[in-house]
Amino acid sequence: MTKETFLHDKHVKLGARMVDFAGWHMPVQYTSIIEEHKTVREAVGLFDVSHMGEVFVSGKDSLPFLNKIVPQDISKLSYEKAIYCQLPNKNGGLIDDLIIYKIGLLEYLIICNASRIDEDLNWMVRNKKGLDVKIDNQSHNYSLLAVQGPKAAEMLQTMGLNTNQNSFTIRPAKVAGIKLLASRTGYTGEDGFELLVENEFSEELFDKILEAGKPFGIKPIGLGARDTLRLEAALHLYGNDLDENTTPIEAGLSWSVPIDKETDYNGKEVIMNQIKNGVDKKLIGLKMLDKNIARHGYDIYYNGEKIGVITSGGISPSLNANIALGYVKNIEEICTGAIVQVMIREKLHDAEIVKRPFVTKRNLVKIN
Amino acid sequence: MSITEKILCSKTHEYIYEDENNTYVIGLTDYAVEQLGDIVFLELPEVGTEFKKGETFATIESVKAASEIYMPISGKILEVNNEVVERPELLNEDSYEKGWLVKIERTGDEAELGDLMEYEDYKEELE
Repeated sequence: MTKETFLHDKHVKLGARMVDFAGWHMPVQYTSIIEEHKTVREAVGLFDVSHMGEVFVSGKDSLPFLNKIVPQDISKLSYEKAIYCQLPNKNGGLIDDLIIYKIGLLEYLIICNASRIDEDLNWMVRNKKGLDVKIDNQSHNYSLLAVQGPKAAEMLQTMGLNTNQNSFTIRPAKVAGIKLLASRTGYTGEDGFELLVENEFSEELFDKILEAGKPFGIKPIGLGARDTLRLEAALHLYGNDLDENTTPIEAGLSWSVPIDKETDYNGKEVIMNQIKNGVDKKLIGLKMLDKNIARHGYDIYYNGEKIGVITSGGISPSLNANIALGYVKNIEEICTGAIVQVMIREKLHDAEIVKRPFVTKRNLVKIN
Repeated sequence: MSITEKILCSKTHEYIYEDENNTYVIGLTDYAVEQLGDIVFLELPEVGTEFKKGETFATIESVKAASEIYMPISGKILEVNNEVVERPELLNEDSYEKGWLVKIERTGDEAELGDLMEYEDYKEELE
């Protein structure tokens, strides 16, 4: 059965087109994906991302447990800080990608992908054997609202949030008098906040943000623009760009894999070996050289030979170009500046390998 | 006569109407365009190409996905709307007047038109 967030009826009333996404009935767009995309790049947008999973990890062995399941060194994560991680299997392939927050002494919050909650929980339970850890899936009790864009901080400041908060931190806060956890994170390449709130307050919070955001040009934003925004920022989408046969090194996520972590974790041997000896496939960013659009599943060619496949592709409303992420054989000449071809409806179309992200991430907006 | 009174529609959301002697105009219905959302790319066939009824003659892409467009009847392409190829967003504004796709010469039996629906019936079918 398709699940609905607490804000479902609100989306319908706002005229959203609803689609099934990862088992959830979610708004894909309210007016126009391109318009919504530009609103987030130029002003501020409000997303309902309550389909995401929230798992609380606590207990005496929380730290060794987390250190066993992710490559990041969680012992270095301090109170109220957040860190981007992956959940590798024994072969280094990714079960999911996550953000882990330290929210208390021996207490952590994991935000994971909606489509992967069950797999993640299964994997965590399998890995907790012999450890004193409580794994508490609270996904059904929390709503998650993302407020993203260059005016996000200024707007939330008018609602009583102290926005003097660093990137990748989380803390208890109040917005319009509603108690929540405010995290300075997002999935758009813009500055912004993600607000974790108990379900019963989500409608009130949603309405109040839309109201207070009016002078800032706020709009509700659907999953369609969320996808074009994250693609421009070259942020991976699990299921497209990450899966159980792809390691973080192949995915270009080496920056999130410390080489000096002492404790063992799932997949460490494979991952360390790849850091040392290289990978067979690698993630690249592509910019199409004509008007054609590369999409998920299309083949990539070089010198007439198939060398890989597009995992995410589409338009970039900010660049007015068509962009894509894909995996190719790790050949030396397939590097930034090289021209490859994408097979689109039985014809090859040129594309240039470009640096990621496609659109530079915006810095934090400081209000004072 | 309003445009919706003279068109016939297919189940796959193409419309067709007779323009002049044996010349037919083909495009996408307003419903199809609304469902697609922002249209960002359009590929139309070359003039002179012949297609059978039901064959793919064009591709349209919205932000989300690529879709095929099918011939509502058999025909030979006489003219394509290059303006919508240059500015696919025209289709979102108006898929009938400015946003037509191709003009064709009918090459099949006129009875092929019998499988198509009047606009009112098409709308009803959607509900």
